[in-house]
Amino acid sequence: MVKTAAALLLATAASQAVPPLLDPSLLAKPPIDAWPTYHGDYSGRRYSTLKQITAGNVKSLALAWVYRLNTSRAGAIVGGEGPDTAPAGLAAPTIKSTPLMLHGVLYFSAPDHVWAIDARTGRESWHFAWKTRGGDHIGNRGVGVFGDWLFFLTPDSYFVSLDARTGKERWHREIANMKREYFTSNAPIVIGRNVIVGVGGDALDIPGYLESRDPENGEVVWRWNTTPRPGDPGADTWPDEYAMSSGGGMPWLPGTYDPDLNLYYIGTGNPQPVLTGQTRPGDNLYTCSIVAIRPDTGKMAWYYQVTPHDTHDWDAAQTPVLIDGVINGRPRKLVAQASRNGHFVLLDRTDGTHVLTSRMIDSANWTREINAKGQPIGDRAKDATVAGTLVSPDTNGATNWPPPSFSPDTGLFYVGTQEAYSIMYLTDTDPRPQGWAAAERGVGRVASALKAIDYQTGKVRWSRPLAKTATGSAGGAMGLLSTAGGLLFGNDGGGNFVAYDAATGKPLWHAGLGTNPTNGPQTFLLDGRQFIVVGAGDALYAFALQP
Amino acid sequence: MIRPIARTGACTVAALTIAASLAAQQPAPEFDPAAVERGQQLLSTECGFCHGANGRGGSSGPDLTRSALVQTDEGGKQIGEFVRAGRPDRGMPPFALTDAQVSDLATFLHSAIRANINRRAYRILDILVGDPKAGEVYFNGAGRCATCHSPERDLRAVGAKYDPPTLQNRMVLPRGSVTRPGTPAPPPHADRNAIRATVTAPGAEPVTGAIVRLTDFDIVVYDAASGQMRSWLRNGDAPTVVVSDPLQGHVDLLPKWTDTDMHNVTAYLASLK
Repeated sequence: MVKTAAALLLATAASQAVPPLLDPSLLAKPPIDAWPTYHGDYSGRRYSTLKQITAGNVKSLALAWVYRLNTSRAGAIVGGEGPDTAPAGLAAPTIKSTPLMLHGVLYFSAPDHVWAIDARTGRESWHFAWKTRGGDHIGNRGVGVFGDWLFFLTPDSYFVSLDARTGKERWHREIANMKREYFTSNAPIVIGRNVIVGVGGDALDIPGYLESRDPENGEVVWRWNTTPRPGDPGADTWPDEYAMSSGGGMPWLPGTYDPDLNLYYIGTGNPQPVLTGQTRPGDNLYTCSIVAIRPDTGKMAWYYQVTPHDTHDWDAAQTPVLIDGVINGRPRKLVAQASRNGHFVLLDRTDGTHVLTSRMIDSANWTREINAKGQPIGDRAKDATVAGTLVSPDTNGATNWPPPSFSPDTGLFYVGTQEAYSIMYLTDTDPRPQGWAAAERGVGRVASALKAIDYQTGKVRWSRPLAKTATGSAGGAMGLLSTAGGLLFGNDGGGNFVAYDAATGKPLWHAGLGTNPTNGPQTFLLDGRQFIVVGAGDALYAFALQP
Repeated sequence: MIRPIARTGACTVAALTIAASLAAQQPAPEFDPAAVERGQQLLSTECGFCHGANGRGGSSGPDLTRSALVQTDEGGKQIGEFVRAGRPDRGMPPFALTDAQVSDLATFLHSAIRANINRRAYRILDILVGDPKAGEVYFNGAGRCATCHSPERDLRAVGAKYDPPTLQNRMVLPRGSVTRPGTPAPPPHADRNAIRATVTAPGAEPVTGAIVRLTDFDIVVYDAASGQMRSWLRNGDAPTVVVSDPLQGHVDLLPKWTDTDMHNVTAYLASLK
């Protein structure tokens, strides 16, 4: 079946002499005239070698076009298993996906929608609308591509494939049960013939998993459970099967990949129940961890747990960024994460050996110590109690899912951070608490900053405070892009899209979009012109130098 | 939808959070309360010995609220089939429940699962565990609260004004205003505790007002007396902007609070009625 279809595809391609949309060799190179995967390339650096736009000429960066999300089913290609009318109360979608750009077309998504947009003009080529059955519509990170086929995930937990050229659906497969509060928001990552997808959802105590699906037919190739089963390695970090088999650990964000080591790196989600750990004493592997997975088999090569026994929703799902660097004079293959728990961690990505841990924010008050392995160990007195514990960061964390950036030119890892406090109240005093088991009451955000971290020391080289309002600091976690033009694109928390000097953090240019960018900015060369594309709320903006 | 705080990265405004959580405490009438009650009784008497009185697992039976079969059950269909067949190999006998009983049991289990899911509706319990006397000592001593506040003046009867969790939150940082469910919150810059800025343009008189927005590129302040906003573009240090926070004392205390001190002072303020 698979062979026949593949042969057919080859035959079709040969007869029309049209190469497939994506040449897979592009995925391992720095992106130039394409953006073929969520991070642009596999490294997660979100660094571009393009330098048409520089610190010297960025003042002339101007709007090329705006595309406002069209969510109407009229004129759309419609799929899905849900009712003909969208459920009431769904908010207008926000662009959290990073568009792919191939041959002058941008492909991107929001919950229940995929669009193909002409990258030259910002006009729609096609729109695919999904009839949802429900599920959490919190966001969608984007599409993946294999040959001529697109893949995306839906809030009601379907894995859907479209023909990229026409937007027509090829098939859809249910990959998780939304009745158990699973939902999917991930961007599929394609490695060889593995389309890798992870599930999300932490409203109930359910197990997390990562899957490889076949690009041909969507069937499961392998599944990796984020928590062990009895007898597995790591099972001794849980008290019993009850706890580990409902222990969460959702791999809800796209990972990164080293083709030479053939390892796929993902960050896993928080354990369940979310805000109390009384039924799960132990480290709770492999939640809140950076994990290296062999993409051909789904077997784990190594892990490093960034937060043992988390009790504050600080998953370690944030991008594991691959850095080819030098530590103590020795070249090292590294992986770095600015983690939601308020710490920056650097590991050797060949085997997970810890290199360094540093604190990213001042307000964090939940750690007892950094242990010998570099892991922040929680002060259990800061777990939720009936009378409340004052905790920083809040459950948003010191940073969150928006993609950070690393520039090999400056050696700096860029991340948006926030310092907020909350009071955590234990509300479920049953011996077997469930779900979140505690209520969070926000106190306030007292600081937010764009920070540049020297990866070799973990120290903050520069920190730029973000916007202020009447109630405190605004913004924080943000999508970032660094370029060989000496620029860092991000936002200021005050509704401005900003180009910063990557070396110093000085703002050089801004566009007052009125709302903070909501995805990771990207860049590519098209017709010899360097474009910068960013999503903010329900609109996608493209900028280029004035011709 | 379900978790707007956790993963949006959006700014958390205390007033809005409080308003949202108050609103969320009005449960949607999704389940017939009488059926839930009957189902709970049935579970307690028929199933509780093994599965626990609340279905979360007991001496020998698994947690029903975490069961995939229960979570994915459609209106009692799968639960009914399972219960009537039993699971003799695991020691569970068949139960001859009527259709109505199955329906009640399923309604209770689904409502219990919904309550676990709906964290916006979690009820905060009795938080007044602190020692009011110790709280008074902290208020007048280490906390330096008495520098600005007095139980005879601004805090008179404050314990009657707010529910204890709101009182505790506002004691820690009283940003924004508490609104009743369904009442729109006023703009944050209209609040008397708004962070303020004094803006001095070259050759102009200083202007002071609540910060609407302060970025590297512009400053907007709100003048409560006139009800108007004023804005300036910023170019480096011009105009000069000096920020002052009426709640700076509260902000400075944030890293210093112990939870015990916080509970004690909350108990003390709650006693001012």
